[in-house]
Amino acid sequence: MGVILECLNLGFRYGKSVILKDVSFTVEAGLFYAILGKNGSGKTTLLHCLNGILKPDTGRVELDRQNLVLLSRQQIARRISLVPQEHLEIFPFTVLDVVVMGRAPFLKMTQAPAPEDYQLARDALRMLDAENLAAASFNRISGGERQLALLAAALVQASRIMLLDEPTNHLDFNNQFRLLAQVKELCRSRQLSVVATMHDPNMARLYADRVIMVGEGRIVAQGPTAEVMTTANIDTLYQTRTFEICGPGNKKLFLPQAATAGTDIDH
Amino acid sequence: MAKSRFFVVFLAAGLIILFLTLLIVGRFAITVADLGSMLDAFFSGRAVAGDLVTKQLVFWWIRLPRTLMAILVGMGLSVSGAVYQALFRNPLVSPDILGVAAGCTFGAALGLVLPGQNYSLIPLLSLSFGLLAVTMTVVIARLISVKPVIVLVLAGMVILSFFNALLMVLKYFSDPYEELPSIVFWIMGSLSRVTWHDLMILAPTVVIGLIFFMAMRFRLNILSLGDIQAKSLGLNPSLFRLVLIFISSLIVALTVASCGQICWIGLIIPHMARTLVGPDHQRMLPVTALLGAIFLLGADGLARSLSTAEIPVGIITALSGAPIFAFLLYKNRGSGWV
Repeated sequence: MGVILECLNLGFRYGKSVILKDVSFTVEAGLFYAILGKNGSGKTTLLHCLNGILKPDTGRVELDRQNLVLLSRQQIARRISLVPQEHLEIFPFTVLDVVVMGRAPFLKMTQAPAPEDYQLARDALRMLDAENLAAASFNRISGGERQLALLAAALVQASRIMLLDEPTNHLDFNNQFRLLAQVKELCRSRQLSVVATMHDPNMARLYADRVIMVGEGRIVAQGPTAEVMTTANIDTLYQTRTFEICGPGNKKLFLPQAATAGTDIDH
Repeated sequence: MAKSRFFVVFLAAGLIILFLTLLIVGRFAITVADLGSMLDAFFSGRAVAGDLVTKQLVFWWIRLPRTLMAILVGMGLSVSGAVYQALFRNPLVSPDILGVAAGCTFGAALGLVLPGQNYSLIPLLSLSFGLLAVTMTVVIARLISVKPVIVLVLAGMVILSFFNALLMVLKYFSDPYEELPSIVFWIMGSLSRVTWHDLMILAPTVVIGLIFFMAMRFRLNILSLGDIQAKSLGLNPSLFRLVLIFISSLIVALTVASCGQICWIGLIIPHMARTLVGPDHQRMLPVTALLGAIFLLGADGLARSLSTAEIPVGIITALSGAPIFAFLLYKNRGSGWV
């Protein structure tokens, strides 16, 4: 599998505070990467460096062996899409209007989307079984449906790499797993590389092929999920003690120590 | 799509009918027959009959430029408002948010107070101070350079208050019998001072501006998603915002410099258009332009024909704008946006 995206000794600062330091990893085609870390560990900053929204202070990001800073925003946008964490309150666009915006990097400055572009947008919604959302107002659908719409927009936009910023943030218990399963399926069927920041190590354990652990702006551990997802690494990352429990199908899941305190349930 | 096309045709027809009607309506009666003989005289090169001379003067030098100006100003202000609302992703934004109008008003008041009574200086001062105000806002925002959108709005508030304060200073020191009333009247906004000269300056700016905004219709959609989304979709939001701010500020400054402050159009007309055809700029920009023209044309028609003394059109737009806005808020409740 070829490397498409490479992060080399990346460093980033906001003013004087160092957010990222000496971060290096590679992204290969068709794999699902999870970035784990505590709140404020620099996960989102790292994601924004990967598609050039933020310019690194040291080191560089290479897309197909080309330095990101040498590529135009449009060239990057055709290959890398981003689904941001916040669902911004916008004008009451329809879902189809939002999805078709993913075609922006392929249109000329003064061009508006043509019927073919709308067709691509509908196809993307169909792929995620969300066709029925097309005419709904983006502001009036649920968090999970919004996430699907934004995922469809990202699919319409870029075929190589998709960056997801805490994709399960606004979703209910069941939808979190459904969404990640859909993302994983896209990874496999379309040779799409996915890089997602996540809060829940168990989600990463279940769906990611590779895990990158970021603590205080540095990489704590990285590699294939089975190798990296150990209680020792998770303990260091979250500065707690974790226990391994056995889920269905002999899948190992984790519980932090805090979960064992005060859990006596009155029967 | 079909719905929005229907609205565009319907509104364009309404605009043409209103335009032709308002050429006839007014304190000074000009009939259709009069217009016919004027046109006849114009094309045949003959002199017009005695009683028509005054009518012809009124028609050519007052009524025609004034009605055309109402259309241009209505379109310019309402579309600038729509662009600003997309730029700042905020439905409460109107084109004077960055202090353009406040700067223009101060400039005009300065021109009225300065000794020498040089009236040709007023629009020039007004335009310069309007553009100066926006430039100051943009520079302050760039110096701060975090959270670009919010900082622009805050910097705009700083500049707006500053120029309003300067205006108060001018008012305080101006002569209460001569200068103060003219400042107050000027601020209210009126199309009564319009000349062909104003029209010649404003027309190309508004037309080029509207064509540019229309060309950028899809990019405006993207920009209204916010900077992070816009960037990851391949757009350069800062550059884009700067260009759009410059063009719409120029339109607003030229408008205020020749007609004073005409409030509410930039705020309510985009809302009306969005209520009719939705937020997609491909559909709402043409509807916004047509509605703006109709609204100001109608308001100006009332302003000059309601009473013997001319009412400043700014009063009419403000009086009608407030209840219309309240109604729109009520109608759009629960759209997840207001």
